[in-house]
Amino acid sequence: MAAPAVRAARRWPVLALDLRNRLLRLPGLTQVRWSRYGPEYKDPQIDKEHYRKPVAELTEQEKYDLELRKTQHIKAAPATKTSSVFEDPVISKFTNMLMKGGNKVLARSLMTQTLEAVKRKQFEKYRAASAEERATIERNPYTIFHQALKNCEPVIGLVPILRGGRFYQVPVPLADRRRRFLAMKWMITECREKKHRRVLMPEKLSHELLEAFHNQGPVIKKKHEMHKMAEANRALAHYRWW
Amino acid sequence: MRVQIAATMLSRVTRLTSRTRQLDPGRILHTGSRAPQSVAAHLDDQAADDGPRAVSRTSEKDPARHGEQHEGLHYDIPLQDVGTLFPQSLPPRFSMQVKTFGEACLMVRKPALELLHYLKNTDFAHPAVRYVLYGEKGTGKTLSLCHVIHFCAKQDWLILHVPDAHLWVKNCRGLLPSAYDRTRLDQPAEASAWLKNFKTTNERFLSQIKVQGQYVWNKRESTERGRPLGEVVEQGLTRAKSATDAVGVVLKELKGQSRAGGFRLLVAVDGVNALWGRTTLRREDKSLVAAEELALVHNLRKMVRNDWHGGAIALTLSQTGSLFKPRKAYLPQELLGKEGFDALDPFVPILVSNYSPKEFESCVQYYLESSWLQHEKAHTEDGKKQLLFLSDANPGQLERLCAHL
Repeated sequence: MAAPAVRAARRWPVLALDLRNRLLRLPGLTQVRWSRYGPEYKDPQIDKEHYRKPVAELTEQEKYDLELRKTQHIKAAPATKTSSVFEDPVISKFTNMLMKGGNKVLARSLMTQTLEAVKRKQFEKYRAASAEERATIERNPYTIFHQALKNCEPVIGLVPILRGGRFYQVPVPLADRRRRFLAMKWMITECREKKHRRVLMPEKLSHELLEAFHNQGPVIKKKHEMHKMAEANRALAHYRWW
Repeated sequence: MRVQIAATMLSRVTRLTSRTRQLDPGRILHTGSRAPQSVAAHLDDQAADDGPRAVSRTSEKDPARHGEQHEGLHYDIPLQDVGTLFPQSLPPRFSMQVKTFGEACLMVRKPALELLHYLKNTDFAHPAVRYVLYGEKGTGKTLSLCHVIHFCAKQDWLILHVPDAHLWVKNCRGLLPSAYDRTRLDQPAEASAWLKNFKTTNERFLSQIKVQGQYVWNKRESTERGRPLGEVVEQGLTRAKSATDAVGVVLKELKGQSRAGGFRLLVAVDGVNALWGRTTLRREDKSLVAAEELALVHNLRKMVRNDWHGGAIALTLSQTGSLFKPRKAYLPQELLGKEGFDALDPFVPILVSNYSPKEFESCVQYYLESSWLQHEKAHTEDGKKQLLFLSDANPGQLERLCAHL
C-alpha cells in the first residue's frame, strides 16, 4: 500500500499538475514509478475522431486548445496505445497484468485465445438452446469480459493500520482503480494457481470469466469473503481517519 | 485419295489443337463462361437474388454447377458428406469452425473453378494430368483442394486423399523395417490411420474392385486373386504390421485398374513437397532416414507419376508443415527442390492468392450474417477497413482475426 501522503496527493486532482509533481519530488518521498518527461509534457491525443472534425465545426475553446497544443511539448505515444477501433483499455490493462517477463506477444495471444474460447463456448450453448433461451445467451466476448470483471470488483476493502504496535485490518472504501485492479489480480491469480498443469491458460481463463459473468465461481467467492471480513471488522472502522 | 489424306490430317490437327486448348490456362476465362450449364442452374440461383446489399451465400450445393457467377459466394457441404469425405482430414481451424457454426461453408474461388473446369474436360484416355495448387501461407490451397474433392465425390470418382503428407515424414513413432523390402521402413500407425479414412471415404468401391494379384501377408494370411479390395484394407486395419504393405497394394491395384475404366481415380495429396524433402525421423542407431526409405512415401511417389490414365492428380504445396524450408518460400521450385520438381514436371501450376475485394467483402458478410463478428465496431466501415489492413486480405489471417473479435 502506498504511503498515505502520496495517496493523499494523488487524490487531489484539483491541484495544479505541477504542484502535485513538486510534492511528489520532495526529499523523503521516493517515486517508485516516474517518467523521464518533465511536468510540462502533455499527453498525446490518440483519438482519430478528434482530428477528423472539420475546422468550421470547432468551438472557440477547441480552436484555442488546438493552437495551444502546437506550442506545447507532447509525450510520445506508447507503443501499446493505438487508434484502432477495436482497442479496449481494460483488455490492454488485463493483457499487461497477464504478461510475464515482458513477453507481450505471448500475453496478447493468450488474451485473444481466451476471447475466442469464450466466444466458441457461448456459440455452442446458443446452438444447443431453445428459442426463448437464445435471447438470454450473450455471445459477445467483450461484454462478457467487462461484466465478469465488474462482478468481481469488491465494494469495500481492508487496509492494515498500525495502532498501539499492532496492525489492524480496517474496512475502507476503495477507489475505482483499486477495485478494478483487485478484480483483475484475483482473476489472474486464480487462473494461474488453481489449474492443472496440463490445462492451458485460455481454457481456464475462459471458464472463470464465464462463471464470474454468471456471478458464480471462485473469484466471486473471494470478493464475498472480502466483504464478510470487512463486515466482521466493522468495529474497527473508526481507526480510519480519511 | 489425296482429299481423304488431307481430311484426316486436318481432323488430326484440329483434334490436337482442341486438346491443347483444354489445358491452356489462358483460355479458361473464355471457355469458363461458355461452360455447359443446365437450365435449372440458371433459374435456380442468381448471384444477386437478395437485392442490392452484399450477398455471401449461394444455394447451389452441387460443385459441378459452380461457375463464374458463384465466384466469391459461400456454398455449404452437408455435414454427412463432410463426415464421409473428410474424416479427420480438414485443416484444424476449419474443423473448429465447422463444429462451432454447425455447417461447413466453402467459398467458391477462381483457382478451384479453374481446376474444376480442367477436371470436367479431362480426357481419360490420356495420362493423368498433375495440377499443383501453390501460393503463400493461408491463401486457401487446402480448402480449394477440398472443394475439388467434393466435386469429384459427387461425380462418383474414387478419392485417394492424403490430408497432409508432412505427417508421414515427421514425429512418427514405431518405425519398423518393412517385411516386403528390407531396405525400407514401415509406419504402421500412419498407414492404419490412412486406411481407416480411405475406407470411410470409398466404402462402395471396396466391394466392387477386385484384386488382380495374389498377396501373401504372413505365414497364415494371404489374399487371392479376385477377392474384393475391401479385404486388403481389412487386413491392413487388423494387422498393424502389414498396414504399410496393404497401403502399397491398394495404391498398386488402383493404379493398375484405373485404365480399365471401371472407375475414375482422383489422387489428392496435400503438402506434396514432403515427399521430396528431408525427414526428421531416425532409426534406432540414430542414423537419419531419407524420404525414399519410407515405404509409404515410396509408394505415393509412384502414384503421383503420370504413367497411368483414367483420372487426375491434384496436389498442394505447403510450407506450413514442411521441414527445413524458409517461411517465405511458396513457389514450386523452392518447396519441391530440384528432385521433386523434376519428378513432377510437367504439371499445371495454379496460383492461389489472397482475397480479391469482392471475396473479402463476401467473407466479412458471411461472418456478420452468422454473427461470428461480435464486436460492435466490426459492423462499421472503419472496422472493415481495419480488418482489411490487418489481414491484407489473406484468408487465414482474416479468419484468425475475426475469431477473437
